[in-house]
Amino acid sequence: MRYWLAAALLLVTAVAYAQSHLPAREVGVFWSRGAPRVSFSARDLADERVRQELTSGLRKRLVVTVESHLKSSNRRVTVRQFGCDVTSDLWDDGYLIRIGSQSERLKTVEQAIDRCLVVRGLFVGEPASYEAHKGKEIYFFVRAEFNPISKKQCSELVRPTAGSDPIGPITVNIVRRRICQAERTIQFRSEYLEVPE
Amino acid sequence: MSRFERKILFAIGLSVFLTLGGSVFLAQGALREVYRVGVNERFGAELVHGVEARRAQLMALRSGSEQVADSVQAAVEAELAKSRSTSGLTAVMRVLLERYDVVQGIRITDDEGQEVASVSREDDPPAGALRTSTRDREADAGGRKLRIAVEVAVPEVYFERLQEAGEVADVYSRLQRQSASVSEVYIWVFGVLVFLVIVVAFLIGAIVSRRVTRRVTALAEASRQVGAGDLTVTLPTGATDEVTELTQAFNDMVRDLRDSRTRIEYLQRISAWQDFARRLAHEIKNPLTPIQLAAQELDETYDGADEAYRKKLENARAIIEEEVATLRRLVGEFSAFAKLPRADLAPADLCELIQSIEGSVPAILEDVGRGSPAPVEVQVSCATEPIHVRMDPMMLKRAVDNILRNAIQAVYEAKPSGGGHVLVRVYATDDSGFIEVRDDGPGIARENWDRVFDPYYTSRAEGTGLGLAIVKKVVLEHGGEVMLDRASEGGARFSIELPLMESR
Repeated sequence: MRYWLAAALLLVTAVAYAQSHLPAREVGVFWSRGAPRVSFSARDLADERVRQELTSGLRKRLVVTVESHLKSSNRRVTVRQFGCDVTSDLWDDGYLIRIGSQSERLKTVEQAIDRCLVVRGLFVGEPASYEAHKGKEIYFFVRAEFNPISKKQCSELVRPTAGSDPIGPITVNIVRRRICQAERTIQFRSEYLEVPE
Repeated sequence: MSRFERKILFAIGLSVFLTLGGSVFLAQGALREVYRVGVNERFGAELVHGVEARRAQLMALRSGSEQVADSVQAAVEAELAKSRSTSGLTAVMRVLLERYDVVQGIRITDDEGQEVASVSREDDPPAGALRTSTRDREADAGGRKLRIAVEVAVPEVYFERLQEAGEVADVYSRLQRQSASVSEVYIWVFGVLVFLVIVVAFLIGAIVSRRVTRRVTALAEASRQVGAGDLTVTLPTGATDEVTELTQAFNDMVRDLRDSRTRIEYLQRISAWQDFARRLAHEIKNPLTPIQLAAQELDETYDGADEAYRKKLENARAIIEEEVATLRRLVGEFSAFAKLPRADLAPADLCELIQSIEGSVPAILEDVGRGSPAPVEVQVSCATEPIHVRMDPMMLKRAVDNILRNAIQAVYEAKPSGGGHVLVRVYATDDSGFIEVRDDGPGIARENWDRVFDPYYTSRAEGTGLGLAIVKKVVLEHGGEVMLDRASEGGARFSIELPLMESR
């Protein structure tokens, strides 16, 4: 019993430490019919190198993940993720943006960055997800990534076949995780806020 | 855990961990080199060059399309200058459409947006097969501006190939960047796997070694027990390995020790009994003659007239003389037992001995039958080949005589009118020679088997209990063993085992 208590205490301490060391940033939140809509900017993900890469004519991916967490707990309430493919058009001036199944064309790289990294009124979860946490303090964790390779694509590119040996896939999984991670990542959290009653 | 076990486990652990260390150390360099060979900078550079080439190709196509648009503009302006009307533009544009593959259509509008002329390709390409763009130009037509929209297209597959090449180059550059860490992953995974294999090997080694060490520990414990004087220890033998051979040898050694100790103890006991018999014989023998003489004198010197008293005297004298005779016989036997010499061993043939015993059978039968031969059939047989043992023929003959006499007596008492049998057989196995005496008499009760060789133990009224004690003493002095069990005929079976001079 004492060991379980010690482990729980250690976990809570670790979570609190991790949360306190995550930079807090202004995230606009308003509640709409029991679900939060968040607005924030992750434009600083696009540093000079990222901008350069975006103009290369190769398709680049910007992924924003928003998670809501209970304060001082590692428990995630819900998660929302969206990806944005940006390709500078070498045949014509401008940028092709693809979000899900929708495509659009923008003229400048700044417009493309705004479209992908400035989030306005994004629903994070359903009202039912917050039903049980009314009155509790939560925060939103945001991770913006430049050019992560998706799991599926990564599997296709790095050793697509599983192989006959039992050990190979373990190693390949670890290697894939390292190789396919984003080229640049920023993460921050919102201030703590209370789930309205 | 015993020290021996700890040492074995330490040896296993040392060898397996040295293997682990060596494997990881050697694999480290090998894996890094393999990775360097597979993911090298030249391949990466070539992939980047490939991407650049595709990009340059697209840029060149784009530049070419701009030049084509310029050519279209020039041709339109030339036609307008030549004919000073727009009527011939369509024909010129058709020629341009034929000339430039990249052009999909040309549309000329005036400054109010009204179409002046337009041409386009009749065959529609599949949807998404081409990427199109419009290159806008202007032409001067006698003071008014005409807008020329040249629709140019390039196959979409060019862009797809650029993307594919870009993705591969991207992954490759990541592999290059992560080169060191990926090698480390391989080394760690390899190390962990080798470690797991070694842990399993160590556990299996520990289990197997424990089975051996447990037996060795048991052997050591048994040795301590033997050292403390406990010769009843016997260790189980199961597997067929060196430890089992060692255990078997240990068991044999303990059995030999036990037999030797039993033999020595018995001989010591016999020696004590011999001493006792000598003293007893001496103490009894001396007064016997005066007692007998005194009785005779009393009887002979009575000259009275009392017939009844004379009769009493004669009876008393007869009783005294008879008892004195019995005592003399006992004293003689005690004395003979006390003076029993130690066996003087020399090589001899058991069959020759048994032949001499066969010769004395009639005398024994006569003796047992008290004047007339006892009606007992005695068969004596021996192997055809000589059976050489070290023996004292006289002592051993006496021992076998005793057993034979007992057997004949037992059979005779059970079957006084005849029909009894006694079988004396001599044979040999690989290591021992045997003299076996079997009868079909009543046998000896199982509970008395351990006591029959003790001195002065007898079941007969006239017995002294020395015969079988002498047998055992003689046999033990020959380095042999005498055993008693039940004969297949129903009587007793005595078996004397003597070591052969040479194993067969």
